[in-house]
Amino acid sequence: MPDSKEDSSPKLIKEFGSHHPINQMKDSIMNLLLSFGFEIIDGPEIETEEFNFDMLNIKKSHPARQMHDTFYVDNKSSVLRTHTSPVQIRGMLEKDPPFAFISGGKVYRKDDDATHLPMFHQIEGIYVDKGVNFANLKDLIYKIIQSLFGKEIRLRFRPSYFPFTEPSAEVDILSDEEKWLEILGCGVVNPIVLENCNIDSNKYSGFAFGLGIERIAMIKFGVNDIRDFYKSNLDFLKQFK
Amino acid sequence: MKIPYKHFVKHIDSKPSIEELSDKLFQLGHEHEIFDEIFDMELTPNRGDCLSLNGLLRDLGLFYSISIEKDIYIKDIKPFKFEFINDASHLCKNISFLKLDIDQVPKNYNKFLENYFTDLNVKKINFFTDISNYISYETGQPTHCYDSLMIDDYIRLGYQKDRCEFETLTNKKIYIDSGDLVFFDKDNKIINLAGVMGGKDTACKVDTKSVLIECAHFNSEAIIGRSLKYDINSDAAHKFERETDAYSHDFVLRRFIKIVENHSNIKNIELFNGNNEERKEKIIPFDFSKINNILGIDITENECSKYLQKLNFLIDKNTIKIPSYRNDVNNINDIAEEIARAIGYDNIKKQKINISVKNNFNQTFIEHKIKKLLTGEGFFEVINNPFVSDGTEESVVVDNPLDSNKKYVRTNLKNSLIENLLYNERRQKDSIKLFEIADLYTNKTRIGKRVIGIIASGRIDKNYLNFSKKIDINYLESILHKISYENLELEEISRQSLDSKLKNKIVYCELEIKSSIKFEFSYENFNIKHLSEKKYTPISEFPSSNRDLSFSIKDFSKCKILEEFILNFENALLKEVFVFDYFKNEKMNEIKIGFRFIFQSKDSTVTDNEVDTIIDEIISGALKYDSVSVPGLV
Repeated sequence: MPDSKEDSSPKLIKEFGSHHPINQMKDSIMNLLLSFGFEIIDGPEIETEEFNFDMLNIKKSHPARQMHDTFYVDNKSSVLRTHTSPVQIRGMLEKDPPFAFISGGKVYRKDDDATHLPMFHQIEGIYVDKGVNFANLKDLIYKIIQSLFGKEIRLRFRPSYFPFTEPSAEVDILSDEEKWLEILGCGVVNPIVLENCNIDSNKYSGFAFGLGIERIAMIKFGVNDIRDFYKSNLDFLKQFK
Repeated sequence: MKIPYKHFVKHIDSKPSIEELSDKLFQLGHEHEIFDEIFDMELTPNRGDCLSLNGLLRDLGLFYSISIEKDIYIKDIKPFKFEFINDASHLCKNISFLKLDIDQVPKNYNKFLENYFTDLNVKKINFFTDISNYISYETGQPTHCYDSLMIDDYIRLGYQKDRCEFETLTNKKIYIDSGDLVFFDKDNKIINLAGVMGGKDTACKVDTKSVLIECAHFNSEAIIGRSLKYDINSDAAHKFERETDAYSHDFVLRRFIKIVENHSNIKNIELFNGNNEERKEKIIPFDFSKINNILGIDITENECSKYLQKLNFLIDKNTIKIPSYRNDVNNINDIAEEIARAIGYDNIKKQKINISVKNNFNQTFIEHKIKKLLTGEGFFEVINNPFVSDGTEESVVVDNPLDSNKKYVRTNLKNSLIENLLYNERRQKDSIKLFEIADLYTNKTRIGKRVIGIIASGRIDKNYLNFSKKIDINYLESILHKISYENLELEEISRQSLDSKLKNKIVYCELEIKSSIKFEFSYENFNIKHLSEKKYTPISEFPSSNRDLSFSIKDFSKCKILEEFILNFENALLKEVFVFDYFKNEKMNEIKIGFRFIFQSKDSTVTDNEVDTIIDEIISGALKYDSVSVPGLV
């Protein structure tokens, strides 16, 4: 005879939702950087040209300032920020060194194809103190990349160009398929930028770095099409619980 | 920019392998791909000086003994009586015009010139234009060749006043906007879109024997964006945008003459020099200890000097004289970068860094607490593009939208979330719970308002307790009451205007995220999610198919066994299974348990036959358990 006292009811499964995978990645990296001693600062997505370009030593002739690369708004009175660097400018103007800031969020560029979106996410960091150098920057970048991809990951530093850092570098990681993948940009803060923020570049130096969250999320999660992140398809989102 | 491997090694004494050369170019920061032994270079925008064979060879001088082509015309050149008016001297400080007359247009080119066209598969146009293209490839300096007979010894550089039609030498008709920098002839007709492309009427032809060669230095601001604006593919504009060497014109024009001389008898050479600016040497202090400090290295002054000299920097006592083509080098940090490139970025050892500043761990994590609350109730976070087709009086207007449907920046999250909900309904999702957090902007303020939008419709959950319950205002309120928020406004969105025939209610709520929000629940040890190792499986865009199956069980102990069998049943087409119904009838000694099966294929629309076969397999497996039956099954 069946034992009616035995609990025969099925397991009650409650479906949990999830944070968006891009925000999961962003929060994880921000959390990592917080543990290194960085402080989170925030700033607006609609910026002045002064903060988005001029203060960062991006000259009027720089291609990034053209209408085909940057979204201008309200009769060219402002721009949709093209990077999170203006947040750091605001932070540097508010605080005296030493400081270590990180800022993360949405940025906008006039791109729309299979590998680029007009809106994407960045995290940028800056550290300014006495005696900060390129070799220190390398140490931090190794820590970040190894935290993200494991101790065994191979990485390389390549000379690059960003108006706000000098020397500038791009960092690649070697994929499982033995292909070098560009992962972040970084460099020693250009003394012009420090001076623009009223910081004595003879006394202080710094480094800065920036990561594209989508790119890292694509590599980490194995997503091949960047547009999948923004279709809001529940079948997609449920994979990141 | 493409450069064949053999063009490089022709000038490098040690003849490095293609792999070694590739490694060295990477070390210098010159990205490239190699196809058929041709380097396809992608240079950073600050290195306009490397947009030529000679430019890259100069950089490779760090590692190799190189010989750059210096065979030029060395005799004196008589002045050219020519009227040139420069109404834009601040944008074009240096400009020269060289007039050449030759006896005959050559039928064949010398080997080195011929090789340029064959090795790079470049189309020949006419004798002088071909040399101009080669000179640009070799030296990096664009030149433009006018048919001298079409120019009446007068040219003016200035700004176009009114919008005007212009036909380029590639037969493309464009309308030049007022304010653009152009060259005019005596009749005030445009003959050249300055720094971009010359006109058809004055262009050289295959039989041109008298040429006027313009060699200019334009301020990059005068050229930037114009080839894109007029959709003209221009190597000259690409180079001027990245800055050329303002003081190379004499060398370049003499090299031009030499190549012409190698091919034909020159009857006449005249040169007009329109340089307004005296040569200014760029000199910065040589402080090698500062370089060591910037990089975190320890090299000697002698090593430092050697590297810089290999790159043609002149060290004189405590100063460094910068070569005129290095427009990118202006301060000691730029010099430090040269040293870093010479050493190799990967060869600079890392130095331990401890950031000793205090950070603000006291940040409010209100946003994360709301997220935690919602994800715990089955809500999924979405992120939407902020560009929308319709705006309000307060909307921020995008001056240069991607298209007319993305002209405004949204002022609410509701419309995006409704779109997300309908998108998932069209994909047969019957329980949709979404939220988005974003900053909203208006044209009144540049400070964003942090807002969360929450939308839900359909079943409350997929388990047997909530499967038949539908989401309504009360449901959303029961969740949000855990947040103490004044004036919580929840609304039911009508489906009338949504082109949706479903009957499920859509409920929505939008809240500003303020630090004053209080929580009536707590999460201990709230941590930001740590990095995960999840790997994504591509989703199917084919429709899914649902089947419900109900079982009767008389022996209650078999209920768990059946549940386990069915929930663990695996098939490539079976995407999901869950218990949607459960009823225990003590009087009748019977349990009825209902399962929903969701089928979907990655490759095609799943067929009834495919589903029937799997269902039959499940039923036959289930019926092996004593007292289990499928009501109504014959």
